Amino acid sequence: MNASILRSTLILGLTAFVATFALSHIKAITHPVIQKQERQKQENALALVLPGYTIGEERSVAVNGGSFTYWTAEKTDGPATMKAYAFIAEKPGYSGAIRTMVGVDDTGTVLGISIIRQSETPGLGARVLEAASRNTFFQVVTGRAHETGEEPSPWFQEQFRGINAAAKIGIVKKGDWNEAMREELLQKNEVSAITGATITTKAVKDGIEEGMATLRTALEEHAKAQEAPAR
Amino acid sequence: MNYYREFTKGIWEKNPILILGIGMCPTLAVSTSVSNALWMTLAATFVLIFSNIIVSLVKAVVPSHIRIPIFIAIIATFVIIVELTLKAFQPDIYKALGIFIPLIVVNCIILGRAEEFASKNTVLPSILDGLGMGLGFGLTLTVLAFFREILGSNRLFGYTLIPGMEPATIMTLAPGAFFTLAMMLWGMNALRSRKRR
Repeated sequence: MNASILRSTLILGLTAFVATFALSHIKAITHPVIQKQERQKQENALALVLPGYTIGEERSVAVNGGSFTYWTAEKTDGPATMKAYAFIAEKPGYSGAIRTMVGVDDTGTVLGISIIRQSETPGLGARVLEAASRNTFFQVVTGRAHETGEEPSPWFQEQFRGINAAAKIGIVKKGDWNEAMREELLQKNEVSAITGATITTKAVKDGIEEGMATLRTALEEHAKAQEAPAR
Repeated sequence: MNYYREFTKGIWEKNPILILGIGMCPTLAVSTSVSNALWMTLAATFVLIFSNIIVSLVKAVVPSHIRIPIFIAIIATFVIIVELTLKAFQPDIYKALGIFIPLIVVNCIILGRAEEFASKNTVLPSILDGLGMGLGFGLTLTVLAFFREILGSNRLFGYTLIPGMEPATIMTLAPGAFFTLAMMLWGMNALRSRKRR
């Protein structure tokens, strides 16, 4: 009996050792690639949500237990210098946190959003990333597809452009958003929910609203801190 | 031993989903689009084949009372390999499949085949068994996804089928998966009972 316990323990230990050994090597190979991609993703997201702006400094503030990261950005348009900010909003969705990079201008108008991390249900919540192709299946099969220079941006994220993040954002159930809906929805400061994934939609929306409020506080505090030593 | 039969049994006669009734969870979850189904098949088949190989190699030294934790450790190792590789080299696919990649660990087909087949057979039949079962799993998943993607999102391979038509969203939701799977089971059973007669 004792011998069998010893033998089982040894075999289990050996299995775990071999598994860990193999995985540490795989991790060493893939880790730099994954990191490089995450950095690239962040840079792409910043460029996407603040089109045409030069990214300034990155600041991080502690907000009830977590940290809130935001970037300042500037764009010179003739004589005027326009200021803009980007921040990362995080809010639990249907399964796990949804991280959204949000770009806003001085007045709180959204310049663009980009969802950088989510683990929503494929086919439902995960459609926040889905871009509607302009080609239909038959056009592709019969070779009559339009030449697509660049991929269209996901409609769910596209509809946030122009929304006022400082005010309350409404959610309507109008099915997939399209360009024709833009004006009507923007007037009411509303976004169209993903069918079957209202929780996901609400999480993104709430994240943007909350992030905007946090950004305001953070900016005020930063301004105060800048003033303080001068006095 | 008939190698050809070991390979083909997973596709029809012992199809893991339609006949053995295992691996339903990922089947219902990721069959919302054909490309998800194909990538899921690739990932699960990779894990299935390699865990079958290792299990059939170590079966003689593994005491039977601790075989389950050892099999799970082997399976989990391959799943993490798949997860990290996809994350590094196919980030879009990794994003689309999300939680269902790590959940391959608990896919009943993989532990089921390790326990039922690989732990009793040699390497070559185990590879063929894994390949056949993976194909059977993938074929079922793809057929299911084909109908669900067409009816549920009016698309095929991500391309719109009929512009402007409102799709039946229920087909992308869980009930649609159950309906379609039930239809497939019905068809499969009808075919089989006709053959038997």
